Amino acid sequence: MAGSLKPDLAAETDEALVSLAKGGDMEAFEELVHRHRDKIYARAMIMMRNEVEALDLSQEAWVKAWQRLHQFQGDSTFATWATRIVINLCLDQIRRQKRTRAESIEQMEEETGGVERHMPVVEANPTEGLESEDVRKRIDEALGKLTEAHRTVVVLHEFEGLEYKEIAKRVGISIGTVMSRLFYARRRLASLLQNLRKERSE
Amino acid sequence: MNNKEWTLDLQAYVDGELEPSRRAEVERVLAGDVEARDLVAALRALGEVVRAHEPAERVPETREFYWSQVQRRIRLAEAADARQAAGASRAAGWLRWLVPTLGVAAVVVVVSLNRRATGPVVEVASAGMDDAVGMTFRSDTDGITVHWLR
Repeated sequence: MAGSLKPDLAAETDEALVSLAKGGDMEAFEELVHRHRDKIYARAMIMMRNEVEALDLSQEAWVKAWQRLHQFQGDSTFATWATRIVINLCLDQIRRQKRTRAESIEQMEEETGGVERHMPVVEANPTEGLESEDVRKRIDEALGKLTEAHRTVVVLHEFEGLEYKEIAKRVGISIGTVMSRLFYARRRLASLLQNLRKERSE
Repeated sequence: MNNKEWTLDLQAYVDGELEPSRRAEVERVLAGDVEARDLVAALRALGEVVRAHEPAERVPETREFYWSQVQRRIRLAEAADARQAAGASRAAGWLRWLVPTLGVAAVVVVVSLNRRATGPVVEVASAGMDDAVGMTFRSDTDGITVHWLR
């Protein structure tokens, strides 16, 4: 990339685009947004289950990413870093919304001993024989049926790959509650996926 | 260990969150517990399925429109930052003048108060005669004068 010639941004790696964007190149940043916007939006959608909120939070995440780009040291991929930003925005939003509505009785029960009463119904290969897109759609639907609290720990653990203690810190709950919520959420997911198999076999 | 703790320990085992010593203990129990082994297998299978089928969504807007919105927000945020920085700079300018001015004012007030307190507030004078002694006490603050003769 010599002299005044504009590099072909679409052909650049994320690392090169980040480097250009750190120097103030907005076109390079726009290319990064274009590459990863679906993933960031999808993560916001899983968390919030609302298109308007997901769009708003995904755009806000890109603003924060631009503002904090100098903090990105390349310890993770750019996509992972940007995803963490949108996750944090979603968690903040959920916290704000939580202040204005009471926890459901169902949720309280799940967290105070539900694990004992709901012993395993999960079975191996819950989606065996199903089309991949079908499974993806069904998992999305199943996630949508979880309470916000349970969905959050699943997303942070399964998709973000966070450890229990990191989830506890981010969500502001104990590690024990993380474990209970995760188990309940998994059991419910397994149950919802099992129903899909039953529907198919009928 | 109760049923709940054991169940959550099995889950932590699957998630690789157990301490090595506890992990060894769980593995020893698992060897002779079919139900626990089934749960471990089910949790593993579910985790694999979920991770492999992360729900995907596409932004329901064109590249240009989405970016124009992001760009507008960036500019608004930058303008807000600039206003904040300008405000902070103005406040710093005021402080540069205000602090020494307040300092000087405080010194003037203290000196003035001290003067009033030690100056005309109390005045005592005495005079001696052959057969009597006189003493005068005057306080401007209280507006009184007392002559004492003995």
